[in-house]
Amino acid sequence: MQENITSYDTNKHHIHIDMIVTNPKGINYSVAGILDTGAPRTEFSDHFLVHTGFIETKSEKVNLKPGLQTQKYGKITLPSVTICHHKINFFEVFVSHFEPSWGIDALVGLDFFRRFRVTIDYSNGILLTTPIGTLGQNS
Amino acid sequence: MDKKMTWSDMKTKFPDEWLLITDFKLDKSGHLVAGVVERHSRKKDEVYQLPALNKPTAFRYTGESTFSGLRDHAREHNIL
Repeated sequence: MQENITSYDTNKHHIHIDMIVTNPKGINYSVAGILDTGAPRTEFSDHFLVHTGFIETKSEKVNLKPGLQTQKYGKITLPSVTICHHKINFFEVFVSHFEPSWGIDALVGLDFFRRFRVTIDYSNGILLTTPIGTLGQNS
Repeated sequence: MDKKMTWSDMKTKFPDEWLLITDFKLDKSGHLVAGVVERHSRKKDEVYQLPALNKPTAFRYTGESTFSGLRDHAREHNIL
């Protein structure tokens, strides 16, 4: 059973985590995100995905509709994403426009919770994460 | 601008700014410890504009996040 420990800042209003996205050339990008059970699936900002070459352009339609900035407008399969030390290959995520004031480029959603047992130890400011498929196995 | 700085120093020197950071070091939990700030601006568009740096890069914001959840955000904009 592979249980990983990830620290987070309990002074913040949400659980902020930093992850690694690797492009096909093997270049690593360190991305700031928030663990969000209100997001059905993991989303990445179009700003980040355009800059790193995963998509070619942002959707201008989304920018032109006030109040719909969070509307997911595409899907993309990222070749490799590492969240809480767990490497996930071919991770399908939504492309979204994020409010810049959020200060993040990713929302880690329920699809992550479906793959991993996530224990929040708030008093110690740590996340304990274990791949679901390995639960019950001896390490 | 090629001097390596700690994350704490970056927050002091570039308050409420978006940063593109190279030659970065992460701690065991993946949090940024130090790096070289290649670009910085209060405008996200300016920092994320192409061309990319074509090397490992960290993307960070030094201010406080205003994220309050997708549901709250939708409610504020009368989507719900």
